[in-house]
Amino acid sequence: MDQLIQETKLSNEEIFTVLNQFITEVIGEEFVEEMDITPASSFTKDLEMDSIEIVAFSEKVKAHFGENIDFTGWLSNMDLDEIIQLKLENIINYIRECQ
Amino acid sequence: MFVVPPFFGHVSPTLSVGASLLARGHQVVWTGITAIAGQHIPEGGSFIVPHQELEEHQDEIVRILKRQDDGPSLSGPEVMKLALEETYIPFARIMMKGLSRVVDDFQPDVIINDCITFAGALCAYLKGIPCVTTTPVPPDVMGDTAQSAPKIFEWQQKLIKGLQKELGIETDDFVIHSHQLNIVFTSKEFAGFSDPEPHMKFVGPVKGRPNNAPFDWERLEAATTPKVFVSLGTLLVDIRKEFFGKLIEAFANEPLTIVAATDPGIFEHWPDNFIVQSFVPQSEIIPKMDAVICHGGFNTVNDTFMNGLPMLITPIAYDHFHTAALIENAGCGIKLRYKRLRVAELRTTIWELLKNEKYRLAARHIRETFTKAGGNNQAVALLEEFAMIGV
Repeated sequence: MDQLIQETKLSNEEIFTVLNQFITEVIGEEFVEEMDITPASSFTKDLEMDSIEIVAFSEKVKAHFGENIDFTGWLSNMDLDEIIQLKLENIINYIRECQ
Repeated sequence: MFVVPPFFGHVSPTLSVGASLLARGHQVVWTGITAIAGQHIPEGGSFIVPHQELEEHQDEIVRILKRQDDGPSLSGPEVMKLALEETYIPFARIMMKGLSRVVDDFQPDVIINDCITFAGALCAYLKGIPCVTTTPVPPDVMGDTAQSAPKIFEWQQKLIKGLQKELGIETDDFVIHSHQLNIVFTSKEFAGFSDPEPHMKFVGPVKGRPNNAPFDWERLEAATTPKVFVSLGTLLVDIRKEFFGKLIEAFANEPLTIVAATDPGIFEHWPDNFIVQSFVPQSEIIPKMDAVICHGGFNTVNDTFMNGLPMLITPIAYDHFHTAALIENAGCGIKLRYKRLRVAELRTTIWELLKNEKYRLAARHIRETFTKAGGNNQAVALLEEFAMIGV
């Protein structure tokens, strides 16, 4: 049984690949080329995403991973430092928890 | 007495209102942390800097001012911290002692504090002097954080309450702004307020501050192609070269005349269709333009729509994104985010703004709301009425 569940869940790397694609779609290929996106990349500092881009990104996450992933709701409960520190890997973990 | 911050965009509308008040025979002074050049001060007014009390804070003031240059490279939430925690609150703390003395010397009937210069309202509260606030930008930049981001709301509340307590103000009300009269220099239609609180008075743009900068009018008159004015305002010194470099790339070979308000020294050569000058008589130049490019500094935004022109706004930091959203909502311009600025897109967007009439029509509608808001006359009438009741 355990194994079955394991198989349906995506691994961190798989989630990262999907998120990387979404980021490229949202901020544009030519800008992504200049960035080295890793799970340790921070949303605001490294990817320089503004609120409109974050909303567009979260729509894509929702459409792909399911409605129960309330990305913007999750963000709205953070304080400023948490948002500033927010890294791609935090979102990967959040998606895994929600799956 | 106007209490202003060391940011010209915030001082500018107070200079215009102050000029009108002086013309009506009132006594007007400004006070702040750094003096502004005498030529900007309306005749009969004066700018008082309490140097003696500020002396011990000089290093901190220099550091905070320098820190503002980091704004463009910071993220939204970092800018929020920079603004409130690292700038507005420390400036309020630094100003209190000197301001208190200046107020005792001048004995103002009314203190008018700029919206980010909390010391003015705090001092007025402590001394029981009637207080008005001026707001040069559309209010509500942060949105309804109590609902949308409770922890950020809490952070704001805590910082402001902490400051008030430190100064011996025990009330639970926020007294960093006036609750009696807040004069906002835009229209409520543009700012997206259908039903503002009664003390919020939207008077639209004001004008009349002295600006005697010379300009090569002959060269401008001789231009036959569409004219576009470009300004990055008075801050944001560090990114000028990059920004204007992109503009050169986009427009050097286009049938356009670009009037760029920036230090010409940042490039050795400018294309022939660029007229470049550091300080310009902006309010006289913009009426002769066909479109404006700016980052969203509010005085340029007001000048643009007062002349019914479309705008390409390239928000960088601070409240620029909020302003850009308002412009797109109103349909009077297009936003291209500075950090995602593509040269080709700059070019196509400017031609879209120049050729598609709908942007100009929307901009003219905003002009109507601005004119109807009353400008200088309305601001003066509100202040005179307030002073009569308050004294």
